[in-house]
Amino acid sequence: METSFALTGKGYVIVASDTTAARSIVKMKTDEDKIKVVSPHLLMSYSGEPGDTIQFAEYVERNLRLFHIRNNYSLRPSAAASWIRRSLAQSLRSRKPYSVNLMLGGYDVTIDSPHLYWIDYLGTMTEVPFGAHGYGSYFALSLLDRYHDPEATLQEGLATLKRCIDEVAKRLVVSPGKYKVKVVDKDGAREIEL
Amino acid sequence: MSRSYDRALTVFSPDGHLFQVEYALEAVRKGTCAVGVRGKDVVVLGVEKKSVLQLQDPRTVRKVAMLDDHICLAFAGLTADGRVLIDKARIECQSHRLTVEDPVTVEYITRHIAGIQQRYTQSGGVRPFGISTLIVGFDPNDTKPYLYMTEPSGIYSAWKANAIGRSSKTVREFLEKNHKDDLSREESIKLAVKSLLEVVQTGAKNIEISVMESYGKITNLDLAQIEAIVSEIEKEKEAEAERKRSRLAATAAGQASMTSRAAEGTSGQ
Amino acid sequence: MNSIANRFATTGPIRELKKAQTRVEDDEFSDSVWGSEAGFGSLAKGVPNFTVPSVPDPSSFLRLHTDDFADPNCRIKIQHGTTTLAFRFQGGVIVAVDSRATAGSYVASGTVKKVIEINPYLLGTMAGGAADCQYWETYLGIHCRLHELRNRERISVSAASKYLSNLVYSYKGMGLSMGTMICGWDKTGPAVFYVDSDGTRLKGDLFSVGSGSTFAYGVLDQGYRWDLTDEEAQELGRRSIYAAGHRDAFSGNTCNLYQVKEDGWKFIGNYDISKLHYDGPGETPGAGYGYDIRIERTAAPIAVQA
Repeated sequence: METSFALTGKGYVIVASDTTAARSIVKMKTDEDKIKVVSPHLLMSYSGEPGDTIQFAEYVERNLRLFHIRNNYSLRPSAAASWIRRSLAQSLRSRKPYSVNLMLGGYDVTIDSPHLYWIDYLGTMTEVPFGAHGYGSYFALSLLDRYHDPEATLQEGLATLKRCIDEVAKRLVVSPGKYKVKVVDKDGAREIEL
Repeated sequence: MSRSYDRALTVFSPDGHLFQVEYALEAVRKGTCAVGVRGKDVVVLGVEKKSVLQLQDPRTVRKVAMLDDHICLAFAGLTADGRVLIDKARIECQSHRLTVEDPVTVEYITRHIAGIQQRYTQSGGVRPFGISTLIVGFDPNDTKPYLYMTEPSGIYSAWKANAIGRSSKTVREFLEKNHKDDLSREESIKLAVKSLLEVVQTGAKNIEISVMESYGKITNLDLAQIEAIVSEIEKEKEAEAERKRSRLAATAAGQASMTSRAAEGTSGQ
Repeated sequence: MNSIANRFATTGPIRELKKAQTRVEDDEFSDSVWGSEAGFGSLAKGVPNFTVPSVPDPSSFLRLHTDDFADPNCRIKIQHGTTTLAFRFQGGVIVAVDSRATAGSYVASGTVKKVIEINPYLLGTMAGGAADCQYWETYLGIHCRLHELRNRERISVSAASKYLSNLVYSYKGMGLSMGTMICGWDKTGPAVFYVDSDGTRLKGDLFSVGSGSTFAYGVLDQGYRWDLTDEEAQELGRRSIYAAGHRDAFSGNTCNLYQVKEDGWKFIGNYDISKLHYDGPGETPGAGYGYDIRIERTAAPIAVQA
């Protein structure tokens, strides 16, 4: 079952997503990257209806890139989040909406602070200190309520993420195997091996 | 009567000309000069910058535009037309990545731009783009630099070195004389600056140079760097002139001595 | 930012329609005429120019007439059961499929070609609606050739599969049913992409699709290594299809085997699955893949030696 987590800390955002691509009872792939680096300081994890997810993610990716090339600067996380939410909301009111849930983690270099946005397929957007999508959220949200610290160092943040992953592995019937973890901070986005 | 052929629509004149397209080329010839030089594994774009007015911010006037990570474009002609064409090209670059994942090749985007320009010579109620472009870049997974040119008519062609805009003929002839295959980075930059100096009297402050060395690696030279190259070129030119002068003096002296000796000879007889 | 937004806000036929309505603004001609759409412009009217039934809801109309599960007497029965597989290894790509077509519980054919030869370097496999796969993969072939002519180089497997994926995605929800692997060799080496009618597109080393895929995976996953020799790889493909043909009622009859190498694909052979069961791929009796045969063979090695 698709699961993704994200949490903020002192000067960074961590975004993690499982790496399985499943079709009915079969895992077609176990190393699929479902977190896109959509601009130098912005990460987006996506899950939902197969097909829609990748189409929408690539559409966002290319539009943000186009913005960057046209204007020579990238959209700030808050602006990007608004634009993405609006795109989803417009699509929701079309004949064939995208069913995609997103987690948008970015570092705003203009005000030096990390931001995390939780967006669902209905176009709901909210800024959160941590968030989760999928079945994993039923376990992780309470856990993060208890253990999340917005002032945590990267090390501590990763330890908290590890707690989430371990909890889901322990309690969820069909828990995902591997996770991809990416971090964004003042130096940009990068992948991290847990 | 011929008047009626060169109005709103691009239609043929009886002798097979498209006046609007030719006028567009005229607009290009009035634009500032741009040169492109392809070296061994580098490609250089040089443009002549118009002098800005005293109170104008020079940063807002740019003639070299990035289309994608690996492609640059310089144009000569109507700046406003250039902006529109550049935007169309940028959209196509991203759209291409969206549809086939791969970035565009230099030829592909050139063909696309030329295609747009052609379209504006054959549609109703529109006028052709008043610009020629030089497009440089590297193909993905390739080390070979490319240089293409497009014209208002929609023609596109590949070059080792070329110039467009004001006095482009002079510059092109200069390039034809001085271009060698497999130029190094420094040589390519120098050739670009040198050829521009043929038509830019005001020197370094009116020259802009962009260098692309490999896929996605673009650098714009700053004024100090260009000034250094210009002064180097001037020094060389001076040395060359000095040599010429001394050679001339030597030959003159030689001839003088010859004639004097001949004179002595005749007088001796 | 609106330009791409408008172009891609909706996809497929709806987009075409919108495009036609807004053509006045800029595009008096379709972009495709100018070689746009990433070299994928179609001949005249843009890419997905495929008519759908003129009823209010084409997909429910289609479902009404094709769902043999809900109504065994429905007019159109679409072929469903299948086993197909493809994997990448050191020596290229192995593509193996069965050849049974079923319509409900009836075996409609035992000699179906489920590998679609798109061009000398690209193969597609067929699972789901046979007609959908056949039609769209042949259509893909046309566009791969056009790409080749326009860009003077062969299309990458990645681009070809993406094209197919975008195409079927634009028909999402309208009843297309495809699960296919696009296999080939390009500048990057051997490549396999899984594309289905949901719009999913995955790059990978090893895929199997169809009702018998789980059985095929069972054998395939255990025997798979990157450094398999050509013979070992072909044997693995054959055995996996045999396994599915043996266990899955909707797969069987024969196995078609292909290998893609640097210079294009090659048809390796057609193997009767019953024969594989008893005799194996060669002519030696008793070398069969079947459980009983195998056990008999290992139980009495002395007898063979004697």
